[in-house]
Amino acid sequence: MWTRKAVVYIGLGTTLVLFSPFIDNLQLFLLGTTILGFVAVHSLVNTRPIDVKITRSFDAEQVFENSPVSVDFIIQNKGRSVGFLEVYDNLPPEVEVDKGSNHTIIRLQKDELVINKYHLNCRLRGQFRLGNPSLRIYNPSFLFYYEADVESKSSLVVLPQMEQIDGVDLSTEFPKMYQGAMPIRRIGTSGEFYGIREYSPGDDFKNINWRVFGRTRKLMINQYESEDISDIMLVLDAREIAGTGTVLQNPLNYSCRAIASLVNYFLRARNRVGLTIYGETVKVINPDTGERHLYDILTALAEIKAQGSLGLHTILGDLRNFTPRSPVMVVSTLENDPTSTEALREITARGFKLTVIAPDTLNYDRDSRIISPTVYFTASASLDNKITEARSLGAKAMRWDPETVLSTSLAEVIR
Amino acid sequence: MRTNTSLSFMQAVATFALMSCLGLAYAINPIEDSLFFKAIDAMVEGVYQENVLSNLNNSVVAGLLLGLLSGTSYVFLSMNKKAYDFFLLFIFVSIILVFVSSLREYDRFPYHITQQLFLWFWIGIPVTVGMAGIWQNSIGNQVISAFLILVMPIGLGGNTNDQIYPILGFVFSFILYLELSYGHTRYSRLARVMYFSKEFETVLHWFLTTLVFTLALTTALTSVAFLFHDFLGDILPYSFSNSIEFNTIYGQALSILVFFMIWAVLQTLFSRGYLARQVED
Repeated sequence: MWTRKAVVYIGLGTTLVLFSPFIDNLQLFLLGTTILGFVAVHSLVNTRPIDVKITRSFDAEQVFENSPVSVDFIIQNKGRSVGFLEVYDNLPPEVEVDKGSNHTIIRLQKDELVINKYHLNCRLRGQFRLGNPSLRIYNPSFLFYYEADVESKSSLVVLPQMEQIDGVDLSTEFPKMYQGAMPIRRIGTSGEFYGIREYSPGDDFKNINWRVFGRTRKLMINQYESEDISDIMLVLDAREIAGTGTVLQNPLNYSCRAIASLVNYFLRARNRVGLTIYGETVKVINPDTGERHLYDILTALAEIKAQGSLGLHTILGDLRNFTPRSPVMVVSTLENDPTSTEALREITARGFKLTVIAPDTLNYDRDSRIISPTVYFTASASLDNKITEARSLGAKAMRWDPETVLSTSLAEVIR
Repeated sequence: MRTNTSLSFMQAVATFALMSCLGLAYAINPIEDSLFFKAIDAMVEGVYQENVLSNLNNSVVAGLLLGLLSGTSYVFLSMNKKAYDFFLLFIFVSIILVFVSSLREYDRFPYHITQQLFLWFWIGIPVTVGMAGIWQNSIGNQVISAFLILVMPIGLGGNTNDQIYPILGFVFSFILYLELSYGHTRYSRLARVMYFSKEFETVLHWFLTTLVFTLALTTALTSVAFLFHDFLGDILPYSFSNSIEFNTIYGQALSILVFFMIWAVLQTLFSRGYLARQVED
């Protein structure tokens, strides 16, 4: 392809060659000829297509939000040597280059291999496709260029960020007792030792640690781990309205982080955790345990997009198959959902221990001028009404400001 | 050589090429024949009703040096906005004072000095503008400067084959100036994007090497094309080579055209693609 400079050179050269004989000017004539010759000579320098292979390698194919990923961008020349090769790695807009650059200009000898390293910061969950890298070869004097895309695609899964949740008892009063149930790190009545504490009146004498008493002359009580486990169903609102706000700051993203944190917490405690997502369709991940199940849920969360407008009532059918009286946690703003009251009533009526977490990004939206103060007050009042309504139905409901730690907010509600 | 050093080297050589091409342009076309200066002379004569510029010294070297001085001053002053503003004010006030004192016939400043400086300034203005283009990466200034270098010295006298060496020198330095100044603009921008990396340094060196090689080759080709005219004169029948048409610039143009046509045919015949097709057939 010709650049504008080449066109100007050709125009100038031709004008000089044609015009100079009129004023009998050999200087301008030879200048015009040389300029045309210069363009002609340069049409042979670094303008032919090249054969370059590009691959990428990551230090981790799956990362959590706000984690850095190191990318090795490997450029291998399989053809002629190239003087000016500009390579641009096409990245999705959701990831940003943290260190180094995804844009490089190099000189490649025949069969040479160059590795360009850069770091990505993944600030948003999702499944991203990287590629294809764009190549551009420039002639040294910028007279001609050749552009091509190289087939090289890679995928990167960014899982939602997980927060450490501790000391929040969200389990049921009706634990499922399995044979050989695994102990969880919570104080209970099993045989596994958890720790000791000072004696207080009313404690069973058989739990007094006499060895410690003999050593310290203080009455200390042995504590044992709990063995209660239960099925927990988490419900995520992925409707289009949940994506309102900025790309990074919206209720859906915060909901995904909350769900990821809760799933991790419950699975660590050996519970069985399920997830129901509603938005455009209803997707159910049945309750299960283990690391693999955690990964399945995190991957599902990474893929979620704010779409559709199905109401909360659409999940009721799937909840019928779920163990009665188990905890159900709904993470939703319940905004613009006329079916929410009826659905919450139905859930509590079936005896599920219901908790509603409503991620509240209204303050951020108002401060960032995404919504006007009037809209803020209306939306805020509406959210308060929903929370009050949920509480009146027997649910533990909270308005969660994502700036605060989830476990702290949860502890206040559970208490 | 490091990237920064290479870029500074490009600027220095471009400045030198700019001055030498303007100097050679005036060596090829005497300033007295320049249509541009004749026009200015006529205008000034119309205003003052007397010969002003023709009586002044029209040294090209002085013009080049003044252009270099004013260009350097401009580049340095532009680094500091305040100093630049004060300097402009100083120049403006000086001109006004000289003009008013001359008009009011009170404590006259010898106007010959200012007129002389004015003339030299005009001669050196392509250098001033070009330096701003080179050192401040302004493509607009580079284009204006190149245009002035081509246009300002042009006269109606024409040039002869005797001036072939200054002409080739002019052609070489003019293209070198264009390429280095434009190349510096582009490569310095890319160097910033590439954080002056080692990899980019090799690209820059490749550019400089290729530029010198291709420019030398092109100038050599032009010289050969020019000599081809004499060669044709030798091999063609006497009546043809001695004709008026053949010995004017039109004849030379035709000879050069024939030379490049032969070159194009040879390049096509010996190109890899053409040879490969012949083998396939």
